[in-house]
Amino acid sequence: MTLPRQILLLYRKDLRVEVRKKESLIAMAFFGVLIMVILNLAAGLDRRLQAEPAAGVLWVAILFSSVLGLGRVFAREKENNCVAALLVSPLSPGALFAAKALVNFTLMSFSELVLVPVFFALFGAGLQPGLPVLLLLLALVNIGFSAAGTLLSALAAGTRRNEVMLPILLYPLCLPLVALAVKATGAAFGGRPMTEIRDLIESMAAFGLIYAAAGYLLFSHAVREA
Amino acid sequence: MPMVEPFLRVERLCKAYGGLTALKDVGLTLEAGGFLCLFGPNGAGKSTLLKVLATLLPPTAGSVRVAGFDLEEHPEAFRAQLGLVSHQSFLYDDLSARENLEFYAALYGVPDPSVRAGELLERVDLTHRAHSPVREFSRGMQQRLSIARALVNDPSLLLLDEPYTGLDAHAAIRLSRQLRLLHEAQRTIVMATHNLERGLDLATSVGILARGKLVFLQRRDQIDPEAFEQLYFRHLEAA
Repeated sequence: MTLPRQILLLYRKDLRVEVRKKESLIAMAFFGVLIMVILNLAAGLDRRLQAEPAAGVLWVAILFSSVLGLGRVFAREKENNCVAALLVSPLSPGALFAAKALVNFTLMSFSELVLVPVFFALFGAGLQPGLPVLLLLLALVNIGFSAAGTLLSALAAGTRRNEVMLPILLYPLCLPLVALAVKATGAAFGGRPMTEIRDLIESMAAFGLIYAAAGYLLFSHAVREA
Repeated sequence: MPMVEPFLRVERLCKAYGGLTALKDVGLTLEAGGFLCLFGPNGAGKSTLLKVLATLLPPTAGSVRVAGFDLEEHPEAFRAQLGLVSHQSFLYDDLSARENLEFYAALYGVPDPSVRAGELLERVDLTHRAHSPVREFSRGMQQRLSIARALVNDPSLLLLDEPYTGLDAHAAIRLSRQLRLLHEAQRTIVMATHNLERGLDLATSVGILARGKLVFLQRRDQIDPEAFEQLYFRHLEAA
């Protein structure tokens, strides 16, 4: 079986389970909205935020809520030790990584369909977001975060406190990507043109590529330790 | 007369976790269609040996060959020969019995996963529950489905790690019946179990592992079942 077919098979299986249970998506969207409501209350209901703090609020809500889904996607393979059956099969560990990263990317994207409109409803006054730029930034962060999160969720699954270990490992590793995203999103919200944030976008793409390549290469070691 | 290569050959196999030695110089052979039953107390190395045979753990030293394929040189060809059953089901609770089997069959590149799933469900007598999610299954039903899952690729070597764990008497009898049928179909089987009676009943060869060493290995027809319990404890004490 070719690598793309293996990835598609695993991806469809995981999405089927997620569609049935809906546990990750509902938890992610609910937690993200809750964070934004609390921050909105803390900032003052009628107060406008500057572009950069507003960008920070958006990414805090997205990234904190995403961890709930990232951990579950691999933990599901640990239930009944299904991961052992996958490792004994002809499946390539690279295909397992790519499928899990794709599932995480999909979950993040779907939760953002809820979180981004809620963000603009609560904090959008005075912001000038260019939709194509915002979509590009969301896609780049989703790629980097889901790649790093997939690798680290496999590593964390081998520890006793995996729910605690994942955010402890993930946030420091993704800090450069998050900092770039906040800076770029703040600039986009401030109405600055694409040419001014091109360098930031290229750096984010490079981080996403590094996380994805590292995940693909290291996943077989991580998953055997899980 | 030329020597016939045994189906399974394990030579001087060692496995260490840091300073802890789990397997020491284990060596055994098993002919095609043989049924080797490994006995031993908890921590004797039975599960570690099966994990090494299943390619889930790399050996520290030694070699394993199945049907002429070396585990380290040809891991993919080696895995294609394997089916693994454990006390854990390796099944997805939120998928139905049929969906689980179709998923695994597709993973092994079986030409028509749906047909294969149907055949296997019939073989383990679960056709009537094909569309029920696995989470609704009893432990015995899960174990039967687990055996069906291990057979999707029609493996020539079946590894069973404590398959009787958690089964009630009726489910254990059904499992023994299934294993006997698989053995009669000329599949080579290696099973680790604590259950001396059921193991002796099925095996063609018997091994005892203690403290990581294979301290006893003999053909079943050379063993007196009445005296086996005494022999078993004598070997454990000597180790």
